[in-house]
Amino acid sequence: MNLERVVFGFFIILALSLNYAFVAGGVEAPAHHNVWILTLAIIINLVATGLKLGDRSQTGALLLASGLVAGLLLITARVVWIIVESDDGGPPDAGGMADIVSIATGALVANIVATVILVGDTLLSRR
Amino acid sequence: MTPTSDLDRVTMIVLRYMRRPLFVLLFVYSVGIIGMALIPGRVVDGEATHMNLFHAFYFFTYTATTTGFGELPGGFSDEQRLWTIFCLYMGVIAWFYAIGSLIRLFQNPNFIQALDEFRFARRVDRNREPFVILCGFGDTGSLLARGLSDHRMRAVILDSDPERIKALGVRDYAVAMPGLRADASKPKHLLAAGVKHPACRALVTLTNDDDVNLKIAVMARHLNPRLRVICRSTSSRHEATLRTLDNVTVVDPFEIFAQLVCRAIARPDLHNLNSWFVGAHGVELGVPVQVPRGDWILCGYGRMGHWIHHHMQAQGIRLRIIDPDAEASSVGEDTPLIQAHADRTALQAAGIDDAAGIVAGTNRDSDNLSTLLSVAELNPETFCIVRQNSHENQVAFDAARADLVLQHSLTTARRILKLLISPLVQELIDWLAEGEPALTETVVERLRAAVGTQPPHLWSVRLNPDEAPAVTEYLDRDGAIALGPLCRDARAFPQRLPCEALAIRRQGRSIMLPEPDDPLEAGDEILFCGVHWVEHMLQATLHNPYTLRYVVTGVDSPRGYVFTWLQGERKVPGRRPH
Repeated sequence: MNLERVVFGFFIILALSLNYAFVAGGVEAPAHHNVWILTLAIIINLVATGLKLGDRSQTGALLLASGLVAGLLLITARVVWIIVESDDGGPPDAGGMADIVSIATGALVANIVATVILVGDTLLSRR
Repeated sequence: MTPTSDLDRVTMIVLRYMRRPLFVLLFVYSVGIIGMALIPGRVVDGEATHMNLFHAFYFFTYTATTTGFGELPGGFSDEQRLWTIFCLYMGVIAWFYAIGSLIRLFQNPNFIQALDEFRFARRVDRNREPFVILCGFGDTGSLLARGLSDHRMRAVILDSDPERIKALGVRDYAVAMPGLRADASKPKHLLAAGVKHPACRALVTLTNDDDVNLKIAVMARHLNPRLRVICRSTSSRHEATLRTLDNVTVVDPFEIFAQLVCRAIARPDLHNLNSWFVGAHGVELGVPVQVPRGDWILCGYGRMGHWIHHHMQAQGIRLRIIDPDAEASSVGEDTPLIQAHADRTALQAAGIDDAAGIVAGTNRDSDNLSTLLSVAELNPETFCIVRQNSHENQVAFDAARADLVLQHSLTTARRILKLLISPLVQELIDWLAEGEPALTETVVERLRAAVGTQPPHLWSVRLNPDEAPAVTEYLDRDGAIALGPLCRDARAFPQRLPCEALAIRRQGRSIMLPEPDDPLEAGDEILFCGVHWVEHMLQATLHNPYTLRYVVTGVDSPRGYVFTWLQGERKVPGRRPH
């Protein structure tokens, strides 16, 4: 067992889990989506991307790319949240919420790709 | 005079054939449309209407092509109807004439040939994968193309026989193999086949005519001096000319065949290894055919017979020759010659009872097969080597009772394939042939340990940034890699992958049977023999710097910057060796 693999796997899978936790629920229902989970997902994603930096292998490059896509989309979702938030600090309306959740779903796909690559690479090396 | 391209020729032929029909159509259309526009139509409000030019064209278009929508856009007057009848017949006749000319054009052999050449040249030109030009698609050519296809190597094929090119069309090759019916000795066709193409790896001339082969080889040398040429030649006069040209390899099918026959007799262990390498059917590594010692009978003393005689003498094996046309002077004094066809009496006269073996080597398959039958009757113990001339007779030879069937088109194709795909294999075989038999035994033992009973897979790897980026980088930054560690299995460190490095080519020199501790250098070409899946495993090692570092050092080094930094921090205070 390799400590780097454990930590690396932990952050990548946690990023995927948090992303799903945010996206799960009705697309237009603000009550189903928590802004704290979204923020946490962004932070974990950035940490995971940071851990990927410096890998010179082909799979490493693909993992970094998927991490960058997920980070970009999640940050976009957070920015949209700030824009569509009502002035009194209440949750966004249904239309704004749908935008945020669909962008975050895009990030979920990137996170799934990263996890599949990680699992595939580990299974193929079989050691 | 400017050179004309194939496209120019196609355009020229189309224009020449279609000029008159197009003029006829134009004329009939003009007359019909103008007439329709001038002829007065129905009278409305006391004034004759006229069809405008666009409506006339519309009407004529559907009439001349016999579509006939009716009287559009309005009803016609009787004058117009009269003109319509004229238009209809003229238009239909003009169209039939034009279509007939078009069909004749498509059946014109010059047009078909020009179009084929144009398409062929375009396909070759657009190809970016490495390829080989094959001139001649006979037995040897098609066997070679099959072998190249198995190795995923493309070929471009030229043959002057249209039947052979048609045969090419129905083959199921794994890669694209464009073919053209053309005389390969014409430089125009060689250029179309890509003699100057940057991805062209070699030109192989395999036609049955030595003069044509020589001509192609010389043409190709002039068109592209750096191109490798492999030339089939059976005449010593041509061979002398060809050998003076550099980059030209001469392949004499009869010599290769004779060499193989003599090796099978004198060095069965090496013959066994060689057949195992090329994947011959039913060959088990390390179980050579037991060939008896003694005098041999050779039936047929043509070009191939001469070569066999020459090689046999070099090996110290005595021959008795049966040939109806051979001269006693050409055979030599110490070799008995029976001037007859190889039938029962001739075989008995040659002493079939005490002969160790017989080589039925005439250029007629029926003679060789009937000789086999006589031998089976007279002395079934005799070892029989038979020459198969035509690939079509395969089934008959499979059924015949022969200890060894050799087909010269197949042996030639295999030799050329080896030269093209892995030249180191042939070098290794020749090196083993010169060395002691114990050396061959070592190779066989090592291969048996590595590969076992599985079919062998030969491949070579160049340690350059394209094929092995991880290795060149490691050699640049960290130092030496030995051959042994490179072949370790990353999944089960430190076990070895089931493969064996047979030879290394380094700066023009070849190192045969390298040891596991031998250090590697950038630019080396290594010939491997192993189980099929090993190539992919080894490729992963050659490409992935982390896998390479792991198999070489056994340490799984950190991948990202963060962990590299962390490990550095952890190491420094404790100073513990990892």
